[in-house]
Amino acid sequence: MSDDEAEDLSEEIEVIEELPQVAASESDMIMMARALIAGPTGHDDIWALLCATRPMPPKIGPTSARLLEDTLRHTWRALWLRGGAKPMGTIRGGGSVRGRLWERHQPEPLAFTQATVKLLRWLVATPFAAPASTLTELPASPLSVGDQLVVYLALDAARTTPALRGIAIQPFVRAAPLAWLGFAPLLVGRNVKVPSFDSLTEGVGAIVLEALTGELARRWYASELGKRAITDPQELIELGAGQEAVLTQFMASCDKRGRRDLAAFVIDAAIPLLAKNLSPAPAELDSKAPLSTRAQARTAAGSLLRAVLRWQDWDQEHRGVRFIDDNYQAAQLLLERYEPIGSAGSGRVSGWLADLASLAPTTPSPDTITDQGATST
Amino acid sequence: MSRAIQIRVSESVVRTVHVEDGVESPLEMLPILAPERMGELLAKELEDQGFIRDGNKATRIDPDGIEITVDLETATVSVKIGASADLAETIDRRQNVGIESKDAAEARLRDDVMRDLDDRLAARTEDLRRQVTQRLEKKLGDLRSELDGAVGRATVSALKEKATQLGQIESVVEDGAGNVAIKVKL
Repeated sequence: MSDDEAEDLSEEIEVIEELPQVAASESDMIMMARALIAGPTGHDDIWALLCATRPMPPKIGPTSARLLEDTLRHTWRALWLRGGAKPMGTIRGGGSVRGRLWERHQPEPLAFTQATVKLLRWLVATPFAAPASTLTELPASPLSVGDQLVVYLALDAARTTPALRGIAIQPFVRAAPLAWLGFAPLLVGRNVKVPSFDSLTEGVGAIVLEALTGELARRWYASELGKRAITDPQELIELGAGQEAVLTQFMASCDKRGRRDLAAFVIDAAIPLLAKNLSPAPAELDSKAPLSTRAQARTAAGSLLRAVLRWQDWDQEHRGVRFIDDNYQAAQLLLERYEPIGSAGSGRVSGWLADLASLAPTTPSPDTITDQGATST
Repeated sequence: MSRAIQIRVSESVVRTVHVEDGVESPLEMLPILAPERMGELLAKELEDQGFIRDGNKATRIDPDGIEITVDLETATVSVKIGASADLAETIDRRQNVGIESKDAAEARLRDDVMRDLDDRLAARTEDLRRQVTQRLEKKLGDLRSELDGAVGRATVSALKEKATQLGQIESVVEDGAGNVAIKVKL
C-alpha cells in the first residue's frame, strides 16, 4: 500500500463522540426521569425500575445534571402526546383562542426546581417492594408547576404497581395540586388538607392543565364508576369529601381567574355517565353500618354531580352575556362546552342527587355496577 | 417448689345504654308560592297525617318509636329512632397459679375479665343499634311514599292558589297519578 492510499483511509475514519459517563445511581435516576416523561409506552418496566433500590449520594455530578435537564426538556412533547395536541378553545382576556396547544399559546418555559431531583432521588432510593408504611417519608416542599407535573407523571407511571399507595401517601405528593386534580381518590384521608389551585389557573400551570383536560376527565369518570362498587360507607364519605373539596376550591380558583374553561373536565367526565345512565350511587353499602352513616356516604358520592350543577349555574350566567359585552366570545366558548349536558343532562343530574339524598334511595342493579354491564336508557 | 392455688374472679356489670340512628333528607317542594306559604300548605297536609305543628316544625312520633320531624322552613325531613336498654353481664373465671404470684395473677385476671365484660357489652350495644337500624330501614319506604303524597297534595293546593291569583278557575281535573290540569280564565 502506498503512502497516498494510507492518507485517504485515515480521512474516512469517523470521529466517535465519547459517551457521557455517570455513576450507576445517577443512571438509575435519569432512567426513572425518562420513564416518567415517556408516558405509557415507557411504563413497561416501571415496577422493575421502582424495585431496583439504589442508595443515592448526596449530590449529582454535572454530566448527570445535564442529561436530566435534557430529559426534562421533552416534557412539553409528553403533554402533547397526552392530549395537548387536540384542537380546543382557550379563554384569553374575555375572548377565546382556538387551535392546538402550541397555536393557542406562546412558548412558555416550564421550570423544574430541586424538588424534582428530590423526588427522582427518592423514587430511586426507596424499596417499594416493602410495605408502604415502612417507606422513608418524603417531606412536603414548595413545588413549581414543572415539579407538580413530575409528581403527576410519577403517580401515573405507578398506577398499576404496588408502589402507587406508597407514593400517594407522601406529604410531598399531597402538596401538589395537580396530583389532587388527577388522583384525588388516592390522596384523600382524614385530616388531609387540599392545597390551593391558584398555581394551575394562570400562566404555565393553566397551559399544562389544558393539555391534561382529556386525561383528567377520564380519571374522574373512572372514579365515579368506582363509587358504585364501594361497600364501606366511611371510605365513600372520605372520598366524596376529598373530591368535593378539590372541585369546590379548584372551580373557585378558575372563577377568580376568569378561566372557567379549565374546569371543563368536569363536563367531559359527566357526559359518558349521563349517556350510559350511570349514576355514582353505590350499589350496596354495608348493611351493618348505621343508616345515618350510609345516608352520609350516599350524599358524599354526589361530589362530581354537584360540580356539574355549579357548571349549570355558570351556564345560566353565560346565556345572559350579550353580543356587545366584552366577554361575549368567552361566554360562547363556555356555552359550547356545556351544550352536550344541556338542560336535559342537568335535570338528570339533579334527579340523581335527589335520589342520593332520598329517604329510600333506589340502588343500581348488580349488572349495571360496572361500565361494561351498563345499558343505555 | 411452689404450691399451686386456684384464684377466682367474678365481676358483674349493669349498664344502661342508649342507641339511636336517623337520616335527614330534603323534600322536593316546588317553589310555586313564597316559601312561607308553601310551608303552611305542607303543614296542613302533615297535620292531616297526624303530625303536630310547633312553630316551623311538624313532628309525629309513631307507635314503634320512630320520630319524624319536618322542618317547614327548610323543607327537610329527619327521621330518627332511639332505644334504651339495661344490659347486664357477669363473668366468673378461675385460674391455677403458683402461690407466690397470686396477687399479680389475680390483678391480671381481673383486668382480663373487665376487658371481656366491656367487649361483651359493646357487642350487645352494637346488636341493639343494628336492630334499631333495621326497624328504621323497614319504615323508610312507606314513609317516603307518605311524605311524597303530602308534598304532592301541598303542591296541588299551591297550584290552585296560584291559579286563583292569575284569574278565575274554570275547571280542575286531577287524575289518580297525581297529575292536575287547571283551566284558568284570565
